[in-house]
Amino acid sequence: MSLAQRGRLELSDERASRSRLVAFILGRVPLAALVCALVAALNAIGWSFTTPPFQVTDEPAHFAYVEQLANSGRLPSSGSEEFSPDEQLALRALRSEQVARQPENQPIATAGEQRALERDLASPAGSSRRATGAAGVAASQPPLYYALETIPYELGSAGGVLVQLQLMRLLSALMAGATALFTFLFLRETLPAIPWAWTVGGLSVALAPLLASTSGGVNPDAMLFAVSAAAFYCLARAFRRGLTPRLAAACCVLTAIGLLTKLTFLGLVPGILLALAVLAVREARSSRRVAVRTLVIGLAMVASPLCLYVLVNLISGRSGLGPASAAVESATHSSSPGAEISYVWQLYLPPLPGMHRDFADVSSARDLWFNGLVGQYGWEDTFFPGWVYDLALIPAGVLAALVLRALLVGRAALRRRAVELCTYAVMALGLLVLIGVSSYSTFPAQAAGFAEPRYVLPLLPLMAAAIALAARGAGRRLGPPVGALIVVLFVAYDVFSQLQVVARYYG
Amino acid sequence: MGSVRVALVAGLAVTAAGVGIVLTRAPPLLARSNEANPERELASTPGSADVCQANEVLPAGTSALRLGLEADLGPKLIVEVLSGGRMVTDGERGAGWGAATVTVHVKPLPRTVSDATVCFSFTGEDESVTALGEHTPTNVAATSRVGALPGRVRVEYLQTGRSSWWSLASSVAQRMGLGRAWAGVWIALLVAALAAATGALALWLTVCELT
Repeated sequence: MSLAQRGRLELSDERASRSRLVAFILGRVPLAALVCALVAALNAIGWSFTTPPFQVTDEPAHFAYVEQLANSGRLPSSGSEEFSPDEQLALRALRSEQVARQPENQPIATAGEQRALERDLASPAGSSRRATGAAGVAASQPPLYYALETIPYELGSAGGVLVQLQLMRLLSALMAGATALFTFLFLRETLPAIPWAWTVGGLSVALAPLLASTSGGVNPDAMLFAVSAAAFYCLARAFRRGLTPRLAAACCVLTAIGLLTKLTFLGLVPGILLALAVLAVREARSSRRVAVRTLVIGLAMVASPLCLYVLVNLISGRSGLGPASAAVESATHSSSPGAEISYVWQLYLPPLPGMHRDFADVSSARDLWFNGLVGQYGWEDTFFPGWVYDLALIPAGVLAALVLRALLVGRAALRRRAVELCTYAVMALGLLVLIGVSSYSTFPAQAAGFAEPRYVLPLLPLMAAAIALAARGAGRRLGPPVGALIVVLFVAYDVFSQLQVVARYYG
Repeated sequence: MGSVRVALVAGLAVTAAGVGIVLTRAPPLLARSNEANPERELASTPGSADVCQANEVLPAGTSALRLGLEADLGPKLIVEVLSGGRMVTDGERGAGWGAATVTVHVKPLPRTVSDATVCFSFTGEDESVTALGEHTPTNVAATSRVGALPGRVRVEYLQTGRSSWWSLASSVAQRMGLGRAWAGVWIALLVAALAAATGALALWLTVCELT
C-alpha cells in the first residue's frame, strides 16, 4: 500500500470515527431537545429576515469588528465609528442612522431607492474593505465570536456587505439553536422527575422573541447566551452526577470560551468558580487527589486562553486586556462606592429609606426590566402599545403564583439542593451586579446605559426552569394542559412581536 | 391526554382571533408636522421640565403627538394642548420610554385647532432628556420656566389611518423585500413560512411530549 493510499485510508477512518462520535452524541440527546434547537434556530432565522440590515442594536459596530479582523488579521484599535468604506456606504444608502432609534423613520421603501442602493454598493467604494481599525462600541470586546463570524463573512465576500451580513446573521441564528438545546438539557438535569416540563421550558426559550431578535442579528450576545446555557447545563450535570474530570474540563473550557466571547460573561464567573469549588469538596470525600487534580486542571484550562489573550495584547504593545482595559477600568473605577451600590440596588429594586433616588418616577423593575423583556426590539426603539405591558402582568402574575406553589410543594427537595441553587443565585447576582456597575459608569449622562433586557438573557436556563416549574405548579392533572397553554402563549408572543417589528419598519 | 389538545386548540383559536383583530386595525398616519427639523439638540435637562410651544396647528382627528424628545430611560410625560386659554386635549406617557422621539396618545380631536399651544412636562431626577428641534428666533421659540429655548421642538401629529393592515399586506410585503441581500417579495413569504414552520414544530412537539 502506498503512503498516499495509507494516508487516505487513515483519513477516512478518522472521518468515520468522527461521524460515529457525532452520531453517538446526537443519539444521547433526546429528540425533543433537538426539535427545540431546530425551533429556536428557525425562529431566529425568521427574525434575521424580518429585521432590516443594521437595525439590531450595535450591529454596524459588530460587523465592523468582523470586517477588521477578516481583512487585517488584527483586533480593532479604535472605538470610533469610521468604519471601512463599503460599510459606511451601505449604512448611508440604507439610511441606517436615520432609522435607528427614530421610529418615525423607515428603511428604503421604493424600487428607485433599491436601484440606488444596488448602484452604490456596486461602485468602487462599495467594494472597498480597507480596514480602519474602528469598531465602535464593539472594540472593547474579546474576539472569539467575531473570529467565527469571519467564516460567513469570507463566504459572502463576492456578494458584498448585505450578503455578508445576512450570512453572518444566519450563523448567529444557529447559536440560538444551541441556547435552546442546552437549556433543555439543563432542565433535564435540574428537574429530572418531570420530563414533559423540559419541553415546556425548552420551547419557551426557543420561542422567546428577544432571544430570536438578538440572535437574528450580528451580535456576540448570541454566542454568549449559548455558552452560558452550556455552562449551566454542565454545572447541573455535575451537581446531579458528580464532578468527573471530563465534566470539570468542559465547565472550564466553557468558562474560557465565555470570557473570550463577551466581557459580560465575567458576571457568571464567580458563581461558576463557587460551583466548581463546592463540587470539588464533595468529590474530595471519596478521593481527595482526584478532586484536587480535577480542579487544578480545570482552572488551568480557564486561565490558559486568557493568558494567551493577554500575551497577544502585550506583544502587540497594548495593555494586557487590550481594548477591554478601558471598559473594565471605567466600569470598576468609582469615586463614590456608596452611591454606586445605591445605584446598582435601584437598577433592580425600589430604593431603601435614606437612599438618594436615582430614577424618579421610574420603577426600574417594571419599566426597565419587565417591559423590556416583554417587548423591546430593534435599537430598543420598537415597542408594543402601553396596554400590552399592562396585560402582560396577568400571565406573568399567574406564572409567578404557579412557581411559588411548585416551590412550596417541593420545599424538601429544595432544601436538599440548597447549595446547588445558591451557586445559580451567585451566577445570577454576579451578572446583575456587573450590569449595574457597567451602567453606573455612564450615569447620569445615561440613566441606565447598559441596562438592556437582552443582557440578562445569559440567565435564560433559570427563566426556563421557572416556566417549567410553573407548569409543574399547576399540579399533576392540570400541569400538562397548563404547559400546553404556556407554549401557545409563547407562540402568540413571538407572532405578535414579529408583527410589531414589521409594522415599525414596513408599515 | 385530551386536555392538552383542548388547551392547544383553545389557545390557538384565541391567538388567531387576536391576529385577525390586529390586522383589521389601521396603522397611524402622519397628519401634519410643525416642520421643525429634529437634528439639533435644543436643550438637555436632568431633572424636571415644563415646556410650552405656541403657534401649533393640530389637524382634525389627531389622536397622538410625536415629540422630538430623546431619553435613555424617559420619565412620565404629560402633554396638554391649549387653545384660547382652555385645554382642548391631553394625554400622558408612562415612564421608561427610550428613543429619539416619544409618542403620546391624546383624546382624539373632532376638528382642526389652529393657534394652539402644546405643553409637555415631566418630573425627573438625574436622568437626562434632550429636546430635539430647529433653532429659531426667540420670539417663536419654545419656552420653559427658565426662559426661551433656542428653537422649536419637533412635533408631529398622528391620526388613525383609513387602510387596515390586511389591505396594506401586499405593499408591506414589497417593502420587506427592499434593502436586502437578495431583494424581492420572497423575503416576506419566507418569513411567513418560517413563522408557520416554527409554530407547527413547537405545537407538534407539545402534543408528542405532553400527551
